Amino acid sequence: MQALKSGEQNLGTSIMAVQFDGGVIIGADSRTTSGAYIGNRVTDKLTKVHDRIYCCRSGSAADTQAIADIVHYYLQSYAAEHNGTGTEPTTRVAANIFKDLCYTNKDALSAGIIVAGWDKHTGGSVYNIPLGGSLHKQSFAIGGSGSTYIYGYCDSEFKEGMSKDECIEFTKNALALAMSRDGSSGGVIRLAIITKDGVERLIIPGDNLPRFYETQ
Amino acid sequence: MEYNGAAIVAMVGKNCVAIAADKRLGAQAMTVSTNFQKVFPMTDKTYIGLAGLATDVSTLHSKFRRKVTEYAMEENRTIEPKTFAHVVSATLYEKRFGPYFIEPVIAGLDANNEPFICSMDLIGCINFAKDFVVAGTASQNLYGMAESLWEPNLEPEELFEAVGQTLLNAVDRNAVSGWGGIVHVITPERIITRELKGRMD
Repeated sequence: MQALKSGEQNLGTSIMAVQFDGGVIIGADSRTTSGAYIGNRVTDKLTKVHDRIYCCRSGSAADTQAIADIVHYYLQSYAAEHNGTGTEPTTRVAANIFKDLCYTNKDALSAGIIVAGWDKHTGGSVYNIPLGGSLHKQSFAIGGSGSTYIYGYCDSEFKEGMSKDECIEFTKNALALAMSRDGSSGGVIRLAIITKDGVERLIIPGDNLPRFYETQ
Repeated sequence: MEYNGAAIVAMVGKNCVAIAADKRLGAQAMTVSTNFQKVFPMTDKTYIGLAGLATDVSTLHSKFRRKVTEYAMEENRTIEPKTFAHVVSATLYEKRFGPYFIEPVIAGLDANNEPFICSMDLIGCINFAKDFVVAGTASQNLYGMAESLWEPNLEPEELFEAVGQTLLNAVDRNAVSGWGGIVHVITPERIITRELKGRMD
């Protein structure tokens, strides 16, 4: 059974999220492909589902957009029903809604999602939901086709208790390496820093990407 | 044909020709090398670019090098680009029912320094063009770029720009080609070879 339909848009992708004391950093490349054709080279794969909860999307563009829209709706209802401060949905709640959708519809979907956010109970947290719809809380998570090339790099470079700036460097370098090796990843690096003060969005254009060893 | 990835383009200018190619070698989505040669000099004034399966690129380069050397020994002169094109075509058609997965692009100057370019399909049908030829995974993108940027009678430096920009912007919309580029401009006096600095994603 084919995962994607013929001609369907594919978020080939390299996505990543890292937790630090005070929040989370999330990052993604910006390439959408349909076969080998690059349909969009400036895609935004970091999608807001609540004020301080974002998801990183990989797999089928249509499937992940549909799922994110549904979760966004559920979280709006949750916030409205639990009105008042201190009752904002937690990242854990959002991740579980994603997981329910991905697991229940596992046969029909092609979606690898990383959920990350800040809430006042736990601070920053990262949840990885790979293809089958399992849920994994992790200190950092990587996903998408490009992630296979950076498991070694991430395992060797990650340390618990990194500062916000160290996390940004870690994410930037890891994604740049993945984009360099993976044909389905590329374009610009989009970053978002989620803390109690809100969401700061950054973009690193192609010519400012860190460059590493290239075969001579 | 999409397994390794390639993008090749050749254009005619004023008393010159240019041929350019990307430098990526991939295994489907994974990039294995950013320095893979796809354009080869066959004589002092004829170049061939081979787009398609990398193993066949190496094999055919080897075969054509031998055929060109043998021709020079038998005829005691260098082979003309048009004649070489027919040699390539015959070699490909020999394997009509089990072909090489290659789309060749030939660019050169004949004995009178007249520009010559052509391309072929994988079984040797020659396309003699007067303006430009393209091949590879980004061929449709290359057609669009070349159609927009080419005009007749470009001087060598202008032709370099046209060919370079055609290649760079075409491969940036193709996930399996790019990761560097190389351009050869062939004039009666000399050959100018330049590397292109492009996106490495």
